[in-house]
Amino acid sequence: MKRLLVLLTLAAMVLGVSAAASAAEPIKIGALYGLTGGMSSIDTPSLNGAKLKAKLINKSGGLLGGRQVEILGVDTKTDQKASAMGAKKVLSEGIVAGIGYSDPAFVLPAAPLFQKQGIPFVTSGATLPTLPKMIGDCMFMTPFGDDDQSYAIADYTVKKLGAKKVAVWTDNSMDFTKTLSRFYKERIKKLGGTIVLEDFFMMGDKDFSAQIARLKSSGAEAVFVSSIPNEAGLTVKQIREAGLKLPIVSGDGFDTELITTVPGPALANDVFFATHTYREDTRPEVLDFIKEYKAEYGHDPENAFAALGFDAVGLIADAITRAGSAEPAAIKKALRTTKDFKAVTGTITYSRASGVPVKGVSVISVKGGKYKVEEVWYPEAK
Amino acid sequence: MTAERKRLLFLALAGLGLTVLMQAVFDDYLRTMACFVGIFIILAVSLNFTNGFAGLFSLGHPAFMAIGGYVAALLTFNPEMKPLFLPDLPEWLMALHLPFLPALLAGGAAAALTALPVGAAVLRLRGHYLAVATMGFLIIVQVLITNMEPYTRGPLGLNGLDTLTDLWWVYGSVLVTVYACWKIKFSSYGRMLQSVRENELAAACLGVNLFHARLAALVIGAFFAGVAGGLWGHLVTALTPVSFSLVLAFSIVVMVVVGGTGSITGSIIGAVIFSCITEFFRPLEENYSVYGVGEILMALILILILVYRPQGIFGSREPDWLTPKTNRC
Repeated sequence: MKRLLVLLTLAAMVLGVSAAASAAEPIKIGALYGLTGGMSSIDTPSLNGAKLKAKLINKSGGLLGGRQVEILGVDTKTDQKASAMGAKKVLSEGIVAGIGYSDPAFVLPAAPLFQKQGIPFVTSGATLPTLPKMIGDCMFMTPFGDDDQSYAIADYTVKKLGAKKVAVWTDNSMDFTKTLSRFYKERIKKLGGTIVLEDFFMMGDKDFSAQIARLKSSGAEAVFVSSIPNEAGLTVKQIREAGLKLPIVSGDGFDTELITTVPGPALANDVFFATHTYREDTRPEVLDFIKEYKAEYGHDPENAFAALGFDAVGLIADAITRAGSAEPAAIKKALRTTKDFKAVTGTITYSRASGVPVKGVSVISVKGGKYKVEEVWYPEAK
Repeated sequence: MTAERKRLLFLALAGLGLTVLMQAVFDDYLRTMACFVGIFIILAVSLNFTNGFAGLFSLGHPAFMAIGGYVAALLTFNPEMKPLFLPDLPEWLMALHLPFLPALLAGGAAAALTALPVGAAVLRLRGHYLAVATMGFLIIVQVLITNMEPYTRGPLGLNGLDTLTDLWWVYGSVLVTVYACWKIKFSSYGRMLQSVRENELAAACLGVNLFHARLAALVIGAFFAGVAGGLWGHLVTALTPVSFSLVLAFSIVVMVVVGGTGSITGSIIGAVIFSCITEFFRPLEENYSVYGVGEILMALILILILVYRPQGIFGSREPDWLTPKTNRC
């Protein structure tokens, strides 16, 4: 056993060394993702998206007159210790920028290490709006902040759906869902609406009859369900089966096929959610991305996180081109002045002091099992 | 100086030499990895104290680690950033700022103090029941950390800690932990613990207070776990409740079981093997996109050890050349 172990170890080390020696002066970008463990279903598509973008750049001649882009993908196992280790590992391999993660819990141990060395880190999917403030000027976000998606759907609830009395259901087991509800309630009150009912559930709950009974007697004109995809389909199904017709609204946790497949197309009615401008979009960037992804991996992109990984690399490549240099400091400076970058998930501009991109948020409706983009919302603070 | 002392001193110096070498040759990534190996040595050796010497199967180790980690982090947190990150802290804690060593010791002490009431409650149980009760304790600690937002920032966790942990701190802590556990193992208290493990009735007949012996084993193990938690926090620079999970408890138990329950040398070797193995396979995983090979191999080693050598690599013994003849057991 021991001898086998030694042999395997040696083999692994040789492979590592030989791969590092090939190709002259590529531009290296570290990509930290939880490819195994709980985050793998959204982090793996992100890394695939990132690798696809690098491949497309290389196919069209690379950056800065022929330098190839190399993505160093590291599996950090949905684990904070591994995240810190992964960051140190890619930082010791001469990268010029880093990307990664769809959850702030893993950005927080990794990104400060980039900040310390002055190397920019672009998170592809973490939506916590205070991230850039918490980490520093090397931190960039590809997605919108949670405040923006909550504001978008809150504006839609009051202004377009005309609902002033709103019920809020929150998954109390996650930070993301709690944050989303907090911003939603704040916005509804600001717009003159009232929260007539607040109810809670936990990730993994299967029966919502108690909440539905309270919802029925609350007189709410719309219900905001702050959940991740698992509960999205189930809540829609059970609310509609109970005969309630009020609009169901949510954030990007509802951006999943489950909200039509679980209740069935007949019950998947009057559901509205705010999400990344990607689903059902017909901009050329989106169509090209889907075509290339399909050609590379043999299936459609799994979710918006594939597009976000693609965009994170796109943002860095755009900054390198505009800076005319692959030095981390120059990339950071160019990233900060990113303006109207046409990403798959919407146009990105970094102009706010908070460091969160000014980016459109799609409000999508589901009627009879069909998705339709109702509007694209923009934050007013430019 | 006895032969045993000479050998232990030699090992301590060899460790020092290795630390100097690693500090000089390794890059930041490898140094961090070496630090994690050291921290896992402390965790495995201290868990071995509870699980191995005293035979108390505890899954609560990460809970003590979390307590030590959070306490140390609150004490060393940058005083300028504290009001920004933790606006609701009580004033005395807001103003308190300690150097690393007292913070680590305070973390260890807090974990040991927690172990007292916990031990008083759960140590009445045996075997599987004890394992489940300590697991319950771990879950309670996680839930408390998640909800004590003024102190811990809840699920978001504390981040932006200073990187205070380096190879020297880890080396020093490993040295103290291993030396303390070694001395206790071959002291009269250590023999008492082992007698409790082997035969409760016989030990009680000889006048051993079973409950005190067990409680002390849990408290001492908790202290070192708390210190390891402090080192861990200042190495990762972020603490969240999910880090101190049952998965972590399981990995530490695996290190102890593979090394040999009751053997300090075995725990050290188990910790080294299991903290390195997944990193060794990184190049293979990354170049061929076969993520997860390290984990599969880890599981395979565990199965093989349990089938062919259930007592672990070292059993409950230490290598002969390290122990004086009178001390072999």
